[in-house]
Amino acid sequence: MASFRHLILLLLYCDGMKTETTPSPQSDPVITTRKVVSKGQNQVTIQELAILKPQTIELSCYLTDIPNNPPYLTGYWTKDGKGIVNSEETVNRTNEQYILKKTFDILAKDLGNYSCIFKEIQTQVTFVLDVPVIKDKRDKPIVSYTGDSVVLACKLKQTPNTWNWYKANNTEKGLISVTANPLNYKIFINGNETKLTVLNLTEEDSGKYICSAEFDIKPSESYIELKVLSYIEPLKPFIAIVLEVIVLVTLIFLWEKCNKPQNDNISAGENELCSEQISKLTRDDSNGVENNTARQRKLEH
Amino acid sequence: MEKPQKTQEEQQSSPQMAAPDGGWGWVVVGSLFVSSALVFGLIRSLGVFFVEFVQYFGESAQAVSWITSIGLAMQQLMSPVSAAASNVYGARPVVMMGGFLSGLGFILASQATSLLHLYLTMGLISGLGWALIFTPTVASVMQYFTLRRSLAMGLGFTGVGLASFAFSPLFQYLVEAYAWRGALLVLGGLSFNMIACGALIRPLGKPKVVVKAENSTKLNKCSSLFSRICEGFELALLSHRGFLTYSVAITLFNAGYFIPYVHLVAHSRHIGFNEYQAAFVISVTGVADIVGRVASGWFSDLGRMRMQHMLVVWTGLLGLSLMLIPVAVVYSGLLVVSVVYGFCAGAMTPLAFAVVPEIVGMERMLGALGLLQLIESIGGLLGAPLSGWLKDYTGMYTLSFIAAGSFLVLGMLVTMTLPYFWSCTAPPPPSPPMKKSQDESIEDGLLKQTLSSNSVPEILCPLDDIPYSDKE
Repeated sequence: MASFRHLILLLLYCDGMKTETTPSPQSDPVITTRKVVSKGQNQVTIQELAILKPQTIELSCYLTDIPNNPPYLTGYWTKDGKGIVNSEETVNRTNEQYILKKTFDILAKDLGNYSCIFKEIQTQVTFVLDVPVIKDKRDKPIVSYTGDSVVLACKLKQTPNTWNWYKANNTEKGLISVTANPLNYKIFINGNETKLTVLNLTEEDSGKYICSAEFDIKPSESYIELKVLSYIEPLKPFIAIVLEVIVLVTLIFLWEKCNKPQNDNISAGENELCSEQISKLTRDDSNGVENNTARQRKLEH
Repeated sequence: MEKPQKTQEEQQSSPQMAAPDGGWGWVVVGSLFVSSALVFGLIRSLGVFFVEFVQYFGESAQAVSWITSIGLAMQQLMSPVSAAASNVYGARPVVMMGGFLSGLGFILASQATSLLHLYLTMGLISGLGWALIFTPTVASVMQYFTLRRSLAMGLGFTGVGLASFAFSPLFQYLVEAYAWRGALLVLGGLSFNMIACGALIRPLGKPKVVVKAENSTKLNKCSSLFSRICEGFELALLSHRGFLTYSVAITLFNAGYFIPYVHLVAHSRHIGFNEYQAAFVISVTGVADIVGRVASGWFSDLGRMRMQHMLVVWTGLLGLSLMLIPVAVVYSGLLVVSVVYGFCAGAMTPLAFAVVPEIVGMERMLGALGLLQLIESIGGLLGAPLSGWLKDYTGMYTLSFIAAGSFLVLGMLVTMTLPYFWSCTAPPPPSPPMKKSQDESIEDGLLKQTLSSNSVPEILCPLDDIPYSDKE
């Protein structure tokens, strides 16, 4: 019995040893490699890499077409502009190519711009390691009205684990939960896109809404601004324009009527037929304007 | 206070329909300017709203584009109704009603909760309003001018071009500030301005049908309503050879005219120019269009050539330039061809309307305009889908441009078969004689000829001559 117990303890111990000796990171033992080829000297190349989960990644810079083909070059790595200690290496020429590689363990705090720099030929290749960025943001706020509903959407190329929506109040974020407010919010998630529908809008619903794509390594966020207006807002210019139209129409008719008596006075000695027609015209006009709705309906039928 | 004196003089010399050719006429031209801006300029700039509708209602772009199709179709189909109403009530109340309806359509649209509501409000109601505005306003301008008719029409139509420039940024701003609902509400208010435009159209004489009813006391009350309607619609025109020829020609013009507006941007992008270059091509075409309208109107009023000949020249050039567009692969070449296209397209527009009284006479011009719009809508309905199908079938825009150009050339050929086309001097009355007609005896001879060949008795024909001979 005791030996059996010892055996189990030994096995557990060995197991523990095994987990201890395997190198971190915790998830993927597979190393991803990314390579960029840079031709010539005095080149600056930028490559964006979307990192979804913590991983070990090997970044390679391949240099070709270097004039004079020196037998070796020295290169070093920087992160976010700061040199990485002990990263300087001498690269020998192999088949007209110079290859510089380095392996990095990437966790959330390790995301940034990694560059391999070759001093002699002033060539630099930058790898931008970041979570996928949500593009097509509207820089203007979305406008809607009280009582109406509005749809806010976010989309990515990659599919995150899940999407979360937050409402920002000054500096804090409040998670929007449909179960807590089923009457006000609806969230639709379909793989790489999400839609938040805000119902029964009120003025307090104005503000910044943040959609957050949750990845293993770090969430990727984007914000949309919502502005809720009351109905009075557009009514103001509308009523202003309608008043202007009414004033114009009144002025036009008044001006015309004012000219008619002048005509009558001047043409008193002239055609009686003329003044009769003029007064008939004014009568026709006013009749037409008043009765046209009824007649119009009749004619259209 | 010169203006009221002028109107008084005009009204003294014109018991029925005279053309003042100035004075208040220019105010009516201004009314046409604003109306065409608020109708066609507005329609052309509605693209800003479509993006919002697609997002809000979740419908496809094609479903949303039906809104303008319905609106335009209503505007053209209801033209005869609008012309008939103007024949009965006069232009002023009809245009004012149209302004009210077009504004009402947009105000109701701002409350829409489904795409169907938009079809009914922006499409049907506003479309009907636009029909009630456009035809009578155009007819009124033509009534107010004889000598400078084309120039007046050209100036009036520049409203469309200028509005297309100004409205796009304005609508964009309205949508950003008030969302599409508020923006539609404000647009409805803007459309109400056309009521004021209608108020400006002072009647020159009594509406035609009213005068006829008063003059012919023989007809009793029952048949007078029916005959009023028939005359209002000018159905007798359908047996007039000149009118039929011209309506075929204008249908063909319509089939080809709008295609480049739709396809030019896509074509420029297709052959490799970037967004800004393509947009510049369109802007240049738009400016050439505006210049063409005014220039052609001014030139045609100089009287060097007959209006019908000028129309043939412009449409021929337009057809040729359209067929040359696919040939231009260099950017500068495309710009040149587009300028020529824009200029000819603009040049053709005032003439296409101004030539109508020459063919059918001042008397029946209003009804003719209404019927023409109805018939030419067939061209529009056929032209756009055909060119779209050609593009889908061949993958390039070449064939659709060539088709558009050939429609225009065909229309030009049909125009050449108009009656009295090949005579170098005066067109026949009952249209107003042109300045070039030196010999009055030739006119009288032609007048007698047409009177005998005319099937519809023109009661007012002798009266028509009096103001025109006064003008001479």
